[in-house]
Amino acid sequence: MMTTPGTGHDRAQIVAAKRQRQASRIAEAASAGIKVLLVKVLVLGIVDAISVYALFVLFAKQDWLVFGLVLVVTVAVNWIYFRVKGLPAKYLTPGLIFLLIFQIFVVGYSGYIAFTNYGTGHNSTKDDAVSSLILSAQERVPDSPTYALTVLEQAGVYSFLVTDPDGDISVGNADTPLKTVTDAETDGSGQAVGLPGYTTLNFADIVSNQEAIAAVAVPLSDDPNDGSLRTPDGSAAYLYLSDLVYDEAAGTMTNTGTGVVYTEDPSQGSFVAADGSELQPGWKVEVGLANFAKAFGTDSIRGPLISVTLWTFAFAFLSVATTFALGLFLAIVFNDLRMRGRNVYRVVMILPYAFPAFLSALVWAGMLNPQFGFINQVLFGGAEIPWLTNEWLAKFSIIFVNLWLGFPYMFLVCTGALQSIPGELQEAATVDGAKPWQVFRLIKLPLLLVSVSPLLIASFAFNFNNFNLIYMLTNGGPRDVTAGVNVGATDILISMVYKVAFVGANRDYGLASAFSILIFVLVALVSIISFRQTKALEELN
Amino acid sequence: MMVKKNGLLAAGAIAVAASLALAGCSAGSDSSGATSDADSSTLTVWVDADRAAVLKDAAAAFTKESGVKVKLVQKDFAKIQEEFIAQVPTGKGPDITIAAHDWLGNFVSNGVVQPVELGDTAADYQQVAVTAMSYEGKTYGVPYSIENIALLRNTALAPTAPATFDDMVAAGTAAGTEFPYLVQIGPEADPYHLYPFQTSFGAPVFGTNADGSYNPDDLTVGNAGGEAFATWLAAEGAAGRMSVNLTGDIAKEKFYAGASPFLLTGPWNVPDAQAAGIDVSVDAVPSAGGQPAQPFVGVQGFMVSAKTKNAIAANEFLVNYIGSEDVQTALYEVGGRPPALTAAFEAASSDPITAGFGAVGATAVPMPNIPQMGKVWQFWGVTEAAIISNQGDPVQLWQKMTADIAAAIQ
Amino acid sequence: MAIAPSIAAPSDTDYIPVKRPFSFGRWFRATGWRHLIGAVMVVFSAFPLLYVLSASLHPGGTLITANGLFSQIDIGSYVTLFNLPQQPYADWYANTLLIGGITSAGTVFLGALAAYSFSRMRFTGRRVGLLMLVLVQMFPQLLAVVAIFLLLNGISDIFPAIGLDTQIGLIMVYLGGALGVNTYLMYGFFNTIPASIDEAAKLDGAGHARIFFTIILRLVAPILAVVGLLSFVGTTNEFVIASIVLITPEKQTLAVGLYQFVSQEFSSNYSVFAAGAVLAALPVMALFLWLQKYIVGGLTAGSVK
Repeated sequence: MMTTPGTGHDRAQIVAAKRQRQASRIAEAASAGIKVLLVKVLVLGIVDAISVYALFVLFAKQDWLVFGLVLVVTVAVNWIYFRVKGLPAKYLTPGLIFLLIFQIFVVGYSGYIAFTNYGTGHNSTKDDAVSSLILSAQERVPDSPTYALTVLEQAGVYSFLVTDPDGDISVGNADTPLKTVTDAETDGSGQAVGLPGYTTLNFADIVSNQEAIAAVAVPLSDDPNDGSLRTPDGSAAYLYLSDLVYDEAAGTMTNTGTGVVYTEDPSQGSFVAADGSELQPGWKVEVGLANFAKAFGTDSIRGPLISVTLWTFAFAFLSVATTFALGLFLAIVFNDLRMRGRNVYRVVMILPYAFPAFLSALVWAGMLNPQFGFINQVLFGGAEIPWLTNEWLAKFSIIFVNLWLGFPYMFLVCTGALQSIPGELQEAATVDGAKPWQVFRLIKLPLLLVSVSPLLIASFAFNFNNFNLIYMLTNGGPRDVTAGVNVGATDILISMVYKVAFVGANRDYGLASAFSILIFVLVALVSIISFRQTKALEELN
Repeated sequence: MMVKKNGLLAAGAIAVAASLALAGCSAGSDSSGATSDADSSTLTVWVDADRAAVLKDAAAAFTKESGVKVKLVQKDFAKIQEEFIAQVPTGKGPDITIAAHDWLGNFVSNGVVQPVELGDTAADYQQVAVTAMSYEGKTYGVPYSIENIALLRNTALAPTAPATFDDMVAAGTAAGTEFPYLVQIGPEADPYHLYPFQTSFGAPVFGTNADGSYNPDDLTVGNAGGEAFATWLAAEGAAGRMSVNLTGDIAKEKFYAGASPFLLTGPWNVPDAQAAGIDVSVDAVPSAGGQPAQPFVGVQGFMVSAKTKNAIAANEFLVNYIGSEDVQTALYEVGGRPPALTAAFEAASSDPITAGFGAVGATAVPMPNIPQMGKVWQFWGVTEAAIISNQGDPVQLWQKMTADIAAAIQ
Repeated sequence: MAIAPSIAAPSDTDYIPVKRPFSFGRWFRATGWRHLIGAVMVVFSAFPLLYVLSASLHPGGTLITANGLFSQIDIGSYVTLFNLPQQPYADWYANTLLIGGITSAGTVFLGALAAYSFSRMRFTGRRVGLLMLVLVQMFPQLLAVVAIFLLLNGISDIFPAIGLDTQIGLIMVYLGGALGVNTYLMYGFFNTIPASIDEAAKLDGAGHARIFFTIILRLVAPILAVVGLLSFVGTTNEFVIASIVLITPEKQTLAVGLYQFVSQEFSSNYSVFAAGAVLAALPVMALFLWLQKYIVGGLTAGSVK
């Protein structure tokens, strides 16, 4: 609203009016300023309070790296919002914080995993691996008796009071081997239940100190090869011998049965014997480029790589092309104001999108069953068309089902984009005598593509990695059994990686992450090139 | 200037707000923070949906007896293996999980489970269950059920049990139904359901050691019996009696509808069959290759996390509560799977269906729990599917599969 | 925008043609053919879902027996659904609405903030930033799950309230994707709002925050609705991350819970599962109906005049 001063106005009046306007503007700005400031202070106060609390917790935990990160972020946020300049940052920061933590960091972390041997048998620290090996190495001495057990405590030391099947009672703890005692209190069945000078623990006491008690091993005699008593449940003790002995100083595990010495190998993250055999589990270590070497050096991957990559591109491209074509067509058809009942059609067409997607694929898989599915049985009168078991028909089915799943999204997006094209443009063009088709091709479509092409590229990227659909509908099949690798005709890169890295019991997160980086680079490159080609960024000046 | 003032003002305000919020935090933390004692005596148990209801009672009894709280977390059975391996190393996993015995090798090589001492109770379980729950000579779980497939017969359509496979086909043909017999196959075949036929040709997947455990270095699937089995499969496919379009869903629907007198299946489909008004009998799987047809036995049980802080409570709960006859019987009643505890199994055998499956299971073999088995499935099913669909020479396909498996488990 | 007078359908008696009598051919050329396409699309879109609906009403039926569409009508499965002792379906439903609602609101808000600055301000790294937003979303999520799990696990050690097995944790992970493709969608739409509106408001003395919250947001309502819907749908359908993050059944979402019905060993309960899925689709449809007028309505009249 700008009033242009008329020629006949008195100057003084103008000045007065100007002043008044200025005054009111300042007053308004000031009051708004106060409101904004209050909101700002409140929100930042909450943020800072949470941060300070986090810093306290981290300080107590001595977690300096995260402490530093939280501190830096908090300071940065306060700085951003209390300076006058740097307006864009004020609008970008909230989303960027989430993006940095939950996207960028996750991608970076996956990148790090790609350089480790993280996966089956190498999923934790060395300490965990050692303790797990030692746990599993405890072997009950064959034909050894079950000892009835009472756990005693004296000055913080736990002792085992045991009664063997012959009724002999003895006591011992981790430092002193079992010795026979005679002054124990017994219950009716002859089981010892207490010893003077010691406190007898009931089950509740045992449970509240169970970590310590489960770790107690009472030597049977002075000779460690006789084994020691341990209790799995607090009420019975058994004689165990460990068949692995860990020597921390030397970094070795020795199998007492076979005498084989397994030496710690930091490059593999496991204990390895001279003949190359490893003890499972190992632990997680950095392995450099080994995963990338594996990715390119494994025959089962190299073989089908080309055909799978081609199909992945074809699938992603065709998915985008078909869904976009149908979505745009429908958006135009139902964008006519003269049409009645448009909304009914719209709602029904949103149904495939509203329906849980992972279920849709399963439903289609059922409907497409060659012998019994609805499509063959009812629509084709009992024909046996191998929708999901013939290589080419399976590819067609996947694209078709993806069209069903994906066209509502494109329909919505195109409807939104069409709405944003000003009506005058069309009116002006029509007045200038342009035919509807020309209006669409020369005016609407270019405008629409500007706003939609990034979404098309994103949709391409999404379908490039559309694991769920492939997995639920065909599981990558049909497979060519003569190929000798576990890759089917409809496998895309990501489902192939999934099979290679995770199939069966073996999970190789390191290899999977290496692949995800390769796939990511591939998709990103294609996308950047598309961006350049479609001039999507031309608008960005 | 103005801005500076604003900044100061705001900084002051923030300091106030922060201290207030902190006061709130510290005041509130008393109620939530002091959980370390309570945690140490709470057992977290992962169960699947069907088992959860039964364990509620066992857990309540255990809590009453010992004061240890039991938190049952219901998981999707299909994802337990993966999640247990993912979560235990981080220290977030449960103390106890329900598990299938064939996950064991994978669990051990990941270092996520610890041995369970059954002590003197080991003799109270059926031998096959304890064997299945053992790996490299140590027992890692308390078994609660044994299950295997057998031949379900619609007595109205086939009055007598077939002695051999050919008898079964003859009886099925005589019945004049749509299918002479039904076995679920599916697009990637179903080696589990076809396994009894395979063993009847004398071709198990792996050879066994003296103690009944599987030897991964002895791949027996490609022997002469395996080739004979492949040839036989191709013939069944060519005759139209086996089809990759016959998924599990369809096979059981057809059987319920009376479209065949025979269905090769497990106890899980019996209630529905009876509900459909079919009088069923459970028979041994007829031999196709002359030797005994041995299906796989699957044993389910409970295992203890390697990183549990409640080892004693966990052992006590498993051995003395899950291993009790009451609980084993109750677990049998919800799932219909024959119990692993001998006493509970004998009580359950008053039901002819359970007795029938149990009799077949007595001669069956445990599914291998060695990690190498994971590599077998991916080649096994698709090859069987290709043979049934007659997509090549069966013997060649079978030998190709054997070579692929051998390469994969190296 | 002037609304063109609607050409009446044959049944419509209120509309009296001024000059031309009704002609079917003309009606068909103008809007009739659109109805024809609409009818085809209705069948294409709705048929598989009718199939599921029929499966949910078929007691104990599998998907295969649903070939006889609506041969049996029985609401037993729906009753079963809410009476399963081990599957808190009602909880799942509430969780899904809660997580979906908060996530989509957060996504719309964060995205709109970012889109505003990309659209109205000029700063270094703007082009690259926009491109990066789209690119970073392309990392294969399936394979990033391991890292997400470890990250939340680390957060749990410090703040159990927002780590693993908390809905806040899951919402935060979802909001990590708030600045992504949706921002681009909004950015395009913001650009269609003439800058002259901002200028005029500035001259009237409004600050940037006020312009954004009171003027711009109202003008871009349609795109906010679209993004809100897309985000809600995406959240309710998301299954991989949700099943990793949410461990306790009472905290899980519909997608995770329903999947259990299918993956139950040997006893896939398709009828109950289908019933659950039918109900699960309702909130999204309701949301769509509610946002219809924004999604479909034209821009606020007068702003572009």
